[in-house]
Amino acid sequence: MQVYSAPKAIKENSDFTFCPGCDHGIAIKIIAHLIDELNLKENTVAIASSGCSVFLYNFLDIDCLESPHGRACAVATGVKRAHKAQGNNKFVFTYQGDGDFASIGLAESMHSALRGENITAICINNTNYGMTGGQLGPTTAMGQVTTTSQNGRNKEYHGFPIRTAEQIALCEGTSFSARVALYDIKNIINAKNIIKKAFEYQNQGLGFSFVEILSSCPTNWKLSPKDSHEKIKNELTQIFPLGIFKDIKND
Amino acid sequence: MSEKELLKGNIAIAKAALNCGCTCYFGYPITPQTEIGEYLSQKMQEKNLAYVCAESEIAAINMALGAASTGAKVMTSSSSCAVSLMQEAISYACSDELPIVVVNVMRAGPGQGYIFPSQGDYNQATIGGGNGDYHTIVLSPSNVQECIDLTYKAFHLAQKYRNPVILLADGLLGQMAEPAELTENPYPQIDNSSWRLDGANSRPSRNIHSLEPNQTKLNQHIINLYKKYELIEQNECDYEEYLCQDAQVIFVAFGSLSRHVKSVCNHYRKNGIKAGLFRPKSLYPFPYKKLNELSRKTPIFIDVEMNMGQMLKDIRLAILSNAKISFIGKPTGNWLREEEIINAADNIIKEYYASI
Ligand SMILES: Cc1ncc(C[n+]2csc(CCOP(=O)(O)OP(=O)(O)O)c2C)c(N)n1
Ligand code: SF4
Ligand SMILES: [Mg+2]
Repeated sequence: MQVYSAPKAIKENSDFTFCPGCDHGIAIKIIAHLIDELNLKENTVAIASSGCSVFLYNFLDIDCLESPHGRACAVATGVKRAHKAQGNNKFVFTYQGDGDFASIGLAESMHSALRGENITAICINNTNYGMTGGQLGPTTAMGQVTTTSQNGRNKEYHGFPIRTAEQIALCEGTSFSARVALYDIKNIINAKNIIKKAFEYQNQGLGFSFVEILSSCPTNWKLSPKDSHEKIKNELTQIFPLGIFKDIKND
Repeated sequence: MSEKELLKGNIAIAKAALNCGCTCYFGYPITPQTEIGEYLSQKMQEKNLAYVCAESEIAAINMALGAASTGAKVMTSSSSCAVSLMQEAISYACSDELPIVVVNVMRAGPGQGYIFPSQGDYNQATIGGGNGDYHTIVLSPSNVQECIDLTYKAFHLAQKYRNPVILLADGLLGQMAEPAELTENPYPQIDNSSWRLDGANSRPSRNIHSLEPNQTKLNQHIINLYKKYELIEQNECDYEEYLCQDAQVIFVAFGSLSRHVKSVCNHYRKNGIKAGLFRPKSLYPFPYKKLNELSRKTPIFIDVEMNMGQMLKDIRLAILSNAKISFIGKPTGNWLREEEIINAADNIIKEYYASI
């Protein structure tokens, strides 16, 4: 009996290009499983962004378009609307980092939510600009040491981090906004169910759906993969609580 | 056949876009081009097409980037300082080989400048304000009829070469009304089924990206782009020659200003001086070869622009070194009047004949 197989939406022979222990891999695999389960492969255009997330198209065997840093939700808006104008309803999602979604691209992200753009945005929150070597970003926690906050983030110098999922939940056009983590099996299964819901809300035409994933960055955190997960479990979930912040069906 | 109607340049561009199958428009307001977006906002909604009042020009051009990846005919429009905001995505679109029509109805700069008419974005358009090795095709209309004709052409070239095309108009042209005919789009539909992103249905998945961590591949990609630009330079030079064949002096001007310069040529012809006008309609590719040919017979070239002489360097590159080249222009304000051009040109011509 076969108990496990790689998702069909993952390209064969794709090399793992993330750092060892990085949660990007788990997040992409969840997405690939959902593309299989919801039968989306032939009808999807994914938007990759600048950051460690850009290599999405190396893994997923679906149509992908790269976006300039921060503009993924605007690019996705163009893809979705252009297909609609041609009479086609395509499934469109973005895969972005926290810097991409909530710093350089905050305007594009929030306005897509406000417009109720019928797309899904997945944001990998690793509390730093990972690809450029771990600088202070919009989600860096108070006290957190990064290469540009070597004494730790403090409010006088750096101001405060953003709780993205809570902010997006405040936008009227948002159908669904949640935060999940991937530090153990239970959370991975939960993350998959949550992302599935976000995808389904797009399929049902309910508006902007959003999932923020608390994700490890062992390289820049200078922690082992295991300790990175401990950090998420014990520290980050205190600052960025897990849960659903908006569900249009329950509100 | 439709009849001539009184049309503003901005509206002519908007109507032509719709008429040749533009299904997506994204924009943010800025004078003197706002009527394009206002007109299309209504029409596109009526036809269930894609119109988004974008939150910024950065968002607008990135929406255009996404829309273009679907194979749709896509346009955004803006002006000068706001076109500056679009440069990053234009560079991406060149690398991604995505067809987007960008209309720039120029105002005066640098910075905010003002809504006065100007031709100050010649450099921004033809050299490009984005990073890396790339070119955008640049077309320059001189009257409202050409706003229609060159909009059709812009969409066609964008699709044909899978490259952004800039329609470089100016505030005067955008705002003035004159009779023009909304002709049929003369260009054929171009098949984009081999590259557009519409879901990997019964075909392998595709991806469009500019990032390329493999040095050899990145080099080859840029070399391939330049092979395409070479083709564009061979095939798409577009210009108007007015009384150039026997000319003793040739004025070079682009856009709506060239119409004053035409009257200046008529004035000189009446007074026994053989003057002609050379008007590039494609600013990239610039018609170097034709201008070079003309410089074999004509000794004086006078560049007339509403900027500080941005086209001069291209004219210098084109003409033979023994031909004389002068400049008449100012950065902004009322378009140079015929008398102003004639006064300045009289001196240039006199000086030249005194010197030989
Ligand atoms: C306009 C622009 N600015 C800066 C960069 C450099 N850059 C690339 S990725 C990145 C940070 C990405 O951080 P994040 O979005 O959090 O993604 P991560 O790498 O952490 O997954 C930066 C600053 C760029 N490519 N483009
Ligand atoms: S830098 Fe961080 S986020 Fe990027 S691949 Fe490495 S561990 Fe993952
Ligand atoms: Mg990050």
